[in-house]
Amino acid sequence: MTVSNPSITAPAGKAPVRQPAGAGAAGGTRKSLRERDRSGYLFVAPFAVAVGFFLVWPTLYGLWMSFTDQSLTGTGSEFIGFDNYAEAFSDPQVWETLLHTLWFTVLSTVPLVLVALIMALLVHTGLPGQWVWRMSFFAPYLLTSAVVSALSAWLFQPDIGLLDTWMTQLGLQPIGWLTDEDVAMFSIALVTVWWTVGFNFLLYLAALQGIPQQQYEAATIDGAGGWRRLFSITLPQLRTITGVIVVLQLLASLKVFDQIYLLTGGGPNGSTRPILEYIYDTGFTNYRLGYASAISYVFFALILVFTLVRLMPARKEA
Amino acid sequence: MRAGGSPGVSRRDVLRAALVGAGGIALGGSLAACATPSAAGAGRPAVMIWDLFSGGDGALMQEMVAAVAAENPDIRLDSTTLAWGSPYYTKLAMASSGGRPPEAAVMHMSRLAGYAPGGLLEPFDLDALAALGVRQEHFAPAVWEKAQYDGQLYALPLDTHPYILFNNPELVGQAGLTGADGKLDYDAISGTDGFLAAGRAVAEVTGETGVGWGYLRDPAGCWRMFWGLYTQNGGGYDLVPGRKAELDVDAAVEVFEFLQEMVDGTVAARNQDGGAASGRFMSGRAGMMFSGEWDLPMFRDALPEVGATPFPTIFDQPANYADSHAFVLPRQAHADPAAREATYRVLAGLLKQSMTWASAGHIPAYQPVVEQDAYQELTPQRDYARAAEIAVFDPDVWFSGGGSDFQNRMGDAMTDTLSGEAPPRTAVDRILREMDRLLSQPNPA
Repeated sequence: MTVSNPSITAPAGKAPVRQPAGAGAAGGTRKSLRERDRSGYLFVAPFAVAVGFFLVWPTLYGLWMSFTDQSLTGTGSEFIGFDNYAEAFSDPQVWETLLHTLWFTVLSTVPLVLVALIMALLVHTGLPGQWVWRMSFFAPYLLTSAVVSALSAWLFQPDIGLLDTWMTQLGLQPIGWLTDEDVAMFSIALVTVWWTVGFNFLLYLAALQGIPQQQYEAATIDGAGGWRRLFSITLPQLRTITGVIVVLQLLASLKVFDQIYLLTGGGPNGSTRPILEYIYDTGFTNYRLGYASAISYVFFALILVFTLVRLMPARKEA
Repeated sequence: MRAGGSPGVSRRDVLRAALVGAGGIALGGSLAACATPSAAGAGRPAVMIWDLFSGGDGALMQEMVAAVAAENPDIRLDSTTLAWGSPYYTKLAMASSGGRPPEAAVMHMSRLAGYAPGGLLEPFDLDALAALGVRQEHFAPAVWEKAQYDGQLYALPLDTHPYILFNNPELVGQAGLTGADGKLDYDAISGTDGFLAAGRAVAEVTGETGVGWGYLRDPAGCWRMFWGLYTQNGGGYDLVPGRKAELDVDAAVEVFEFLQEMVDGTVAARNQDGGAASGRFMSGRAGMMFSGEWDLPMFRDALPEVGATPFPTIFDQPANYADSHAFVLPRQAHADPAAREATYRVLAGLLKQSMTWASAGHIPAYQPVVEQDAYQELTPQRDYARAAEIAVFDPDVWFSGGGSDFQNRMGDAMTDTLSGEAPPRTAVDRILREMDRLLSQPNPA
């Protein structure tokens, strides 16, 4: 064996003797490293295969489709270059639905961060019965989108729904929660906040519990009051987790589809149709897979840019 | 050499063997799955039917399937119910393009224009049908015509299901709208003024509203209402892909003027969706109700005496929006003649079971059943059966039809006008804009 390693201590001419680990048997360590690599790949293999089949391959295939006029019915898989992209950029529906998605993202992200923070602060400050609050704030997150939509459709139902019944009883004008163009997106954002705020709440709560107690003690000794401690210790300490929550929330909100599809189907008059529904309708209801793929990739590129821009300053800080 | 009774198998060996075994089972399983069709083909032919009946009519379809299965013990008949709506057509198109679709499927005839040209379906062999006692003369000419594409029969019509007017006989009686037979007088609800007056008369009886119509969050319902009335008002259309949509704008505006007048809070409630409208009708807070006849089982549960008429003739020409369920043959990559022969037998058998189908409210397409005395005794089915004669279907263009994006877009375009937030002309402009958009897109089939 000609292993050229300066740290080898075995006398020349003698076969390397297996020595206890840590005693400088570099040849043995290298071999076992290579072995470990191999078994590492083996362990990763099932996951890699799944990712390859269900993420990498569809992503590449979708990219290819976006350059074809592929239809769901199996016809037309001819390469048509950038025609789909040209159509997407000049299709007012793409921009209209993209704006709806962005509007929803703003409407949902702001309260989903702020409300989660406030709820976490309240619970952390020591409301009695912590576990009840924790559970009731988090429980809606466990529901599926279908259940959430069914519940809220029932609340929002025009004429005989719970909310409108109460409004009428209070002598107020009933509101077209899901049927008024100016209101529908707010209603959907409201439902979404109720449904998913629990996750952000949990992240904030965990971060709050991770703030060293000594800082508060020191501040108290220096005579800092509750508000002062909140603004000078708690909120600055939550900066990192807020960055994470905002990015996660932006990504989640940009991907909005289920609750809108189930609650309004994009109506009234298309005022709540998100870009993902337009992609779905184009590809699966109107069978234009190629064009739908092109819109997807335009949207994907936008999200990618968005995320990178958001992540860059965070990386600098770190 | 190992001593003792150790079998000489390490844990690792066991794990490895288990993995290999599992792989072998999976492989064997998939091979077996591949082998099933041909194995069955050698024995009893298998016929799979997809349908979209998940409501009260779904149970009746299962009853019919069971009856046909009993008549044909040599066929392995399997029916699968999928949720109705656009996803159904996505699944059907994908199964057909994948080459291994079900042997037969139920489809809305209004979707034929988008399916038949793309090669997703296979035409029926008329001789094979005739041999089973199913011939052209057994169907209403308009329905048979609609089932054709390029001179061939692509759909075997099962029913016509019109959008009609239900009534609560007691309430319309108190409003003085019944004829000598105690049933709602069709003439008393005709004409724009006549219908609105009738609605107000019933509203006076109920103390709330006259007619239930849930137009909110139901774009397809809005479209049915509009298209039926538009045809009554003599409106034609010219929808040619690649060109601008042409409608009779004045006729369409008149329809919306009428609908706005109807949704005034007295004749019909201002803010109502389908659930609220049905609720009002079934609890006697509305005396009439626009809905599809497929809601008959639900209404009859609440109002055993519920009456029904064809859609009232509100404008000049009698016309009744309708669609039709039909059986189609999705294109098989490898057609099995035995399965195909069995499929024809099953479909012919199902048509002859249409009497069961009629009890759900649908008007059977197979006329020998309609002509039976038993059907003529079904009420209120026989009272609206003539709706099939004045049926108007969706426009003949590839993107139209039940469960299509088109119907959603159309209904959505008119919501603001119907709720009184926009003038009638807005709805027409939006409809034309959406039609133009769809016409400018290539037909993917």
